[in-house]
Amino acid sequence: MTTQKKKVKKKVVVELTRSDVLKVAAAAVGSIIAAPLLTTGPLSPFGQLKQEQLEGDEQIGHGAVTGDYHWGMVISLDQCIGCEYCMRACCATNDVRADEPWNIVVPEKTSGGATFFLSRPCLHCQNAPCVEVCPVKATYHREDGLVVMDYDRCIGCRYCQVACPYDARQFNWEERNDENPYVPTWGDPEVERRPRGVVEKCTFCIHRIDAGLEKGLVPGVDREATPACVNICPVGARTFGNLKDPNSKVSQLIASNPTLRLRDELGTETSVYYIPPKEGI
Amino acid sequence: MSTSALTQKQPFKLPFSRAFLIWMGFLGVLLVIGLYSAITVFIKGLYITNMSDSVPWGLWITVDLSSIALGSGAFTLSAVVYIFGIKRLQPVIRLAVLVGFAGYTSAMLTLLMDIGRPDRFWHPWVFWNVHSVLWEVTMCITIYLMILLTEFAPVIVEAKFFDKWPKIRRLGHFLHKLTPFLAVLGLLISLLHQSSLGATYGVIKSRPIWFKPSMPIMFVLSAIATGPAVTVAVAYVVEWIIGKRTVPHDVLRIITRFSGVGLLAYGYIKFWDLAAVTYYGRTPGVSSAFALLQEQTPYPFSFWVGEVILGILLPAILFLVPRFSKNPAAAVLGALSAMVGIILHRWNVTVGGLFVPLSYSPGTAYSLPIGRYFPAPIEWGVVILVIGYALTVITLAVRFLPLFEKQEH
Ligand code: SF4
Ligand code: SF4
Repeated sequence: MTTQKKKVKKKVVVELTRSDVLKVAAAAVGSIIAAPLLTTGPLSPFGQLKQEQLEGDEQIGHGAVTGDYHWGMVISLDQCIGCEYCMRACCATNDVRADEPWNIVVPEKTSGGATFFLSRPCLHCQNAPCVEVCPVKATYHREDGLVVMDYDRCIGCRYCQVACPYDARQFNWEERNDENPYVPTWGDPEVERRPRGVVEKCTFCIHRIDAGLEKGLVPGVDREATPACVNICPVGARTFGNLKDPNSKVSQLIASNPTLRLRDELGTETSVYYIPPKEGI
Repeated sequence: MSTSALTQKQPFKLPFSRAFLIWMGFLGVLLVIGLYSAITVFIKGLYITNMSDSVPWGLWITVDLSSIALGSGAFTLSAVVYIFGIKRLQPVIRLAVLVGFAGYTSAMLTLLMDIGRPDRFWHPWVFWNVHSVLWEVTMCITIYLMILLTEFAPVIVEAKFFDKWPKIRRLGHFLHKLTPFLAVLGLLISLLHQSSLGATYGVIKSRPIWFKPSMPIMFVLSAIATGPAVTVAVAYVVEWIIGKRTVPHDVLRIITRFSGVGLLAYGYIKFWDLAAVTYYGRTPGVSSAFALLQEQTPYPFSFWVGEVILGILLPAILFLVPRFSKNPAAAVLGALSAMVGIILHRWNVTVGGLFVPLSYSPGTAYSLPIGRYFPAPIEWGVVILVIGYALTVITLAVRFLPLFEKQEH
């Protein structure tokens, strides 16, 4: 009985399989066609994303800035002497882990072999990859162009960290109980330590800017309202101010000097401008 | 003896064979190791993993992506049956949905371990960033998990337990009527997130290994090809263990062949992708990134042997050449091999992409250190938890739910 059953079954299988395989193949082809439609076509958020990113340069530009201010920084690679004071003042003021500073200073060489120093805060990109990718808007643009973090909202997925082209983000892998070696020599903490499990980054000392503006001070001019790294620089390599005001120091420096922005080709539209060394990069 | 004592206590009056108890004991060991690791991570924090600021994503994301891909049999086969109308494959649907459910919940479990603030896992549902691929993926996966549950509800209510609750059972059967609609929705949502998982990497402009439009297509294709084969493998293995037919073999063979064709399609696209990235459309950044991977990591080996040979060629041969495709053992072997391939692909994308350091300095001397990473024991421990969990779900479902009925005619 069983053998008979088997035989019958076999026959049926052979007959039916062919048409089935055709149908399945049609299904496969259908899916293959559907997939790119959904991923790159108008149906897909990915399609929009790509479009935006590729058109980024002129279109989005300073789109994030809607207020009267756009805070920016000019760093003169020509003047910087690599003393790391900015890094230390930042670590003290924002109570940053000394081994994972927000603001780094590294020795560099021009293509001609001359030494210079590159320092890098968060560049507060106007077309910021970190803002785009955050699933919960825990990192977002303020209307003054600052890219800020909401530590109460961040879920710690670290997508922003892999997306930032400038390695400007740090994750709190553990509860902090380290001693800050830069306190009090280089300043006192003005903000709370961040909790375990969230990402953090340079804020342009947002607390100073906000408090200063309330008091009627001018960030970039009045020290109390200016980022710690800018204040401490012994050679004045860092300048801070309102990029929207043509008379601010930053705007004038940009107008009267050649400047570059890091990886400008990515269309990130950073708010930090660098004045290259005299002999060129 | 102890088994009979157990059966008396059981409301279902099901006999537990000794093998079943040994197997459950083994799963118990996995779960204990896993739970210990997970709790340790929750208490101490992620610093006990080997992830770092230069490689913030690692093994867990790989497992996460892989389990979603391996669970893709559910939507693929549902679509084949309910949308393309190949009703003959119907007997496999329940199993496929089960495997999908195990895969998706495993992914959620891994994700929960991976994020720094598991207490805020619900934030993406409340705080929307519609521009974020990750947000879209999270929403899709949540919705799809609900679809899977609805699809599976009729099976659950058929369990003996619900003899006492006829109302719930009726509700479950009502949900069954929604199945064709759910299949359409499931197909759309799945195609979207299966590919968006690739987009998660593909949109990151600053990472040369990641930034390419083919990323989403590779993810969705490999998932569509491999997921159904995994379902087939589960069907065969369950059959070997319980000693009864689960799903008719001719049905399984059709699916196996479908997977074979899918793998060939995936292989074809992969070939062109490779050609485009490394030969025709080379850019200096991408070339040097690949050179770095080639010099310093086993990437070429894991790409050619893992992704191409194990992940595509071997299973395609086992699935398509008639001599092998009739043999259940070959199908299982092929599915395992394809699984290894897809996991290695996700690993290579994630860790390979992060291995290549960012370069943003305008100068010539400074470069970030290369991102080194190998998972710590505790990370493997959590993976053991996920595997233990998935196997437990499948085991219990096979044991207690009417997954394979309407067999005997
Ligand atoms: S530098 Fe990085 S962290 Fe700062 S705004 Fe740009 S992408 Fe975001
Ligand atoms: S780690 Fe936090 S800030 Fe960064 S993308 Fe995830 S939720 Fe947003």
